[in-house]
Amino acid sequence: MKTLPTLREKKRYIAFEINSENMILRQDLVREISNSIISLFGDIGASQIRPALMSFEGRSGILRCAREKTIETRSGLACINNIRGIRVSIRVLGISGTIKGATEKFIQQSLIKESEPERR
Amino acid sequence: MSQFDPKFYDFFTHPDSPGQMAAEAKRYGYSGIVVTNSKINKGIVLPDDFSIYKGIEIQAKPSRIREEIKKLKNSNLISIVRGGEEELNRAAVESAGLDILLQPLEFNNVLAKAASDNSIAIGFNLGSLIKLKGDARIRELKYMRTNIKHTRKYKLEMILTGDLGSVYDLRSPREMAALSSLFGMTQSEAIDAMSAAPMGILRRKSLNYIQEGVELI
Repeated sequence: MKTLPTLREKKRYIAFEINSENMILRQDLVREISNSIISLFGDIGASQIRPALMSFEGRSGILRCAREKTIETRSGLACINNIRGIRVSIRVLGISGTIKGATEKFIQQSLIKESEPERR
Repeated sequence: MSQFDPKFYDFFTHPDSPGQMAAEAKRYGYSGIVVTNSKINKGIVLPDDFSIYKGIEIQAKPSRIREEIKKLKNSNLISIVRGGEEELNRAAVESAGLDILLQPLEFNNVLAKAASDNSIAIGFNLGSLIKLKGDARIRELKYMRTNIKHTRKYKLEMILTGDLGSVYDLRSPREMAALSSLFGMTQSEAIDAMSAAPMGILRRKSLNYIQEGVELI
């Protein structure tokens, strides 16, 4: 059954980019994000943040979180420094209210920016 | 958005290759870093609008630290002491000429007063939050909470740093602000700690600076 709009959980989509030594698998990243958030904020905090990885393709991805908890989610992402022994650094590209917005505004733009030097 | 417009600096990095670090730091949104360990070669290609400053981490016994700081008093190196037990912190804050005391473990009002007299900034090492887990991280957060209480009371300058050993320790300024909220720092304090306070130290270290309020133009 559909939830009433006013009772719907409000969410934000965080577009991020991973700088790593090697390729990262999606399942490892999911586990590491939830581990990091749980170790920082505990079970109660993690249930309020409600992190969920929407898409990830090796380098950049989109993470969903609760609207009021973007700062906490940011710090959770910042605390990740290695995934299965591979050193990583996660950089948040931007936050948007829709998946479409996050993809168009941040992820595609970052792809364009990176391919620029090759064109010259 | 506009809150994150100023220039950001990270004051405690010790990378193996400063050139690579500079390029990455620029991409993450910094305008300058201080390199404390390695010699900076002239040959490094720096990105536009980016500067590397030389700093030094003073490592000595508490009894020797005053002399070491005195030696550096008139140089333009940015001097950093990694805080520790009370004896070490005390020696550090009581000697004028030091710039940053990083993450002191046993900080109290007497030390804070001395630091404010000698205008020494207190550094918060966010790298420890990133690298440590569990009990060790809880301890670091506890120290940071006491430190922030004293720095607020005595209006000391705060510095946020990542203690960067490699490019994978780098976090963008917004992430640093989010991390600093974990121990109760507000966003505007965090922004000041990454831009206004570092710029103040750089101004004090510039050649034209004579003393507070007196400057060669």
